[in-house]
Amino acid sequence: MKKLSLTLLAAAFLLLPAAAWSADPIYIAVSAPLTGNYAEYGQNWQKAMNLAVGWLNAAGGIKGRPLELVYNDSKSDPKESAALAQKYTSDPKYVAQIGDFTSTACMAAQPIYDKAGMVQMSPTASHPKFAPGSIWSFGIIGTQAGEGPFMADYAVKKLGKKKIAVLYINNDWGIATKDYFVKPAKEMGADILAIESFFETDKDFTGVLTKLRGYKPELLYIPSMYNEMALIAKQREKLGWTDVLLSGPGSLYSPKLLEIGGASVNGLYTSAVFFPKDPRPEVQKFVKGYEEKYKSTPNMFAAIAYDGANLMAETIRKAGTDRKAIRDELAKTKDFVGVTGKITFTEQRDVVKDYRRLVIKNVEFVLYEGK
Amino acid sequence: MLIAQLINGLTQGSIYALIAIGFVIIFGTMNLVTFAHGEVYMIGAFMGYFALTILRLPWYLALIMGMGAAWVLGFFIEKIAFRPLRSAGHMPPLLITIGLAIILKDLAVIFLGAENRPVPSIYSETIKIGEIQISLLQLLILALAGILIIVLRLLIQGTKIGRAMRATAQDHEAAYAMGVNINRVFSISFSLASCLGGAAGVLVGIYYNAVYPVMGDTAGLKGFAACIFGGLTSIPGAILGGLIIGVVENLTVQFIASGYRDIVAFLVLVVVLVFRPQGILGKKIRAV
Repeated sequence: MKKLSLTLLAAAFLLLPAAAWSADPIYIAVSAPLTGNYAEYGQNWQKAMNLAVGWLNAAGGIKGRPLELVYNDSKSDPKESAALAQKYTSDPKYVAQIGDFTSTACMAAQPIYDKAGMVQMSPTASHPKFAPGSIWSFGIIGTQAGEGPFMADYAVKKLGKKKIAVLYINNDWGIATKDYFVKPAKEMGADILAIESFFETDKDFTGVLTKLRGYKPELLYIPSMYNEMALIAKQREKLGWTDVLLSGPGSLYSPKLLEIGGASVNGLYTSAVFFPKDPRPEVQKFVKGYEEKYKSTPNMFAAIAYDGANLMAETIRKAGTDRKAIRDELAKTKDFVGVTGKITFTEQRDVVKDYRRLVIKNVEFVLYEGK
Repeated sequence: MLIAQLINGLTQGSIYALIAIGFVIIFGTMNLVTFAHGEVYMIGAFMGYFALTILRLPWYLALIMGMGAAWVLGFFIEKIAFRPLRSAGHMPPLLITIGLAIILKDLAVIFLGAENRPVPSIYSETIKIGEIQISLLQLLILALAGILIIVLRLLIQGTKIGRAMRATAQDHEAAYAMGVNINRVFSISFSLASCLGGAAGVLVGIYYNAVYPVMGDTAGLKGFAACIFGGLTSIPGAILGGLIIGVVENLTVQFIASGYRDIVAFLVLVVVLVFRPQGILGKKIRAV
């Protein structure tokens, strides 16, 4: 039902301006989780990218041609994302692809885009091996190689916690996120007391939390998505384990974490590349437009997808619709102003982000003021 | 920590036990296995979730609603999958329950969405006994599982329908000849088993704060394993089986690693069955 109404919304939105165009649209393919466990994130993308493209087309499109995003649901399942890659690359109407959501789904589809020669730009894949894996792959979220040391610094130096335990989600992203945190944390003098993992399908964390509690850590670093984080925070509360700080990467930064976790996530330390209260004009334009249209505040996933759509449009404006020309132009991107900060691709086609330190107080994200 | 892990294990195990008892009741009276039990559990969990969130009912009413929904669902599954095929042997009803399980699960994905639904917390306080901190919710779940099991026992041992169930379990034809309404017994047994599954679903939802359409997969498998572990037709066996699987899982997390919990739990099951094919409390089965 929800999906249907969203599709209708998207369709209505895309059809209305399209009626007035004489030239053919330029098609960009999107591979995103519209249903399944990550559906929320995929729908964030869809809303934000539709907003970006709507504005762009209202302002005349790209050289008189409207831009059209074609969404297909991958559930962020590596099997599905690979199948979608086959579909997209074999259809010449698509000039480039945006997606997928998880690093695992992106990396499964990567060889197909690589072989066919089509840009695969993921708004969210942060695995350090994703973008370097193919000259056609681009990552704009920044990698764990940048965020890991930042979070380690936050935990060890800013919060002054040296006894740390790690509980990570056992997939490509979780393993990389854990590794890029543990190494610099150790170098900063932290004691990593225990490292435990869980599966994406796990819902019961009481056992593993009881075990970690035995090591008496001062801080628990949890590379996960908000769903699991909320369950972990609640189950920890039920076990009565209060003398530990919770911390995790920017993947946790979403209003949903507050909604699901409630008071149990108070005092959780995280980071963000996008903060809606940022006074920069481009951020405020995006936040206001999004709030007017969807009656909700955009999160980081919406913001990064918005940047992704705008960057892709800008690139096509300069390069035209040839797949190779788009790739070459995209690789040259320098100081593109986005709502998540400036985008300049490295040699490896990923970006180095600025992070903000956040903490949850009274079930709300606020900037961490420091000591 | 060991005691805390034991309590974690017993809580989880008591939920497995409730699911396992459902299999035992169905197998005991009807001599059949259902593979839709996990989905009945899932529907019960969702009903409990809606009662807690949309209707904002207290947890005990949510539990009753979850059990009620599962009862009704069980009633219809028995009518659709079992009754018309009473004389068709074991395989057709079994296949129908597999089909029903897939239908129920996919309908839930389509209409309820595949994502986790957050179940609100209740009793998130703890009490301290000496050095050990115990979650009130865990105690509540253990107590509720215990109460349900006692009520079930009273029902089976002390009421007329309970006697009819026991008679039917011993011999369908003899019970029929003595005037027992077998159809009614089957219907009530199946609904009762489903009702316990629904209770387990609601308790799990509250315990882990999450319900989702595929939650019945592992739960059904674990419950079935606990039932076999205990001896297929023994209610005390199913309870013991459930508790052992729950405790083994949590001790595995403590002493090995989280990822090994299912491996070790099922390894124990395999080893027990190799040495005691009839299960820990089951009677020796002769070749039919």
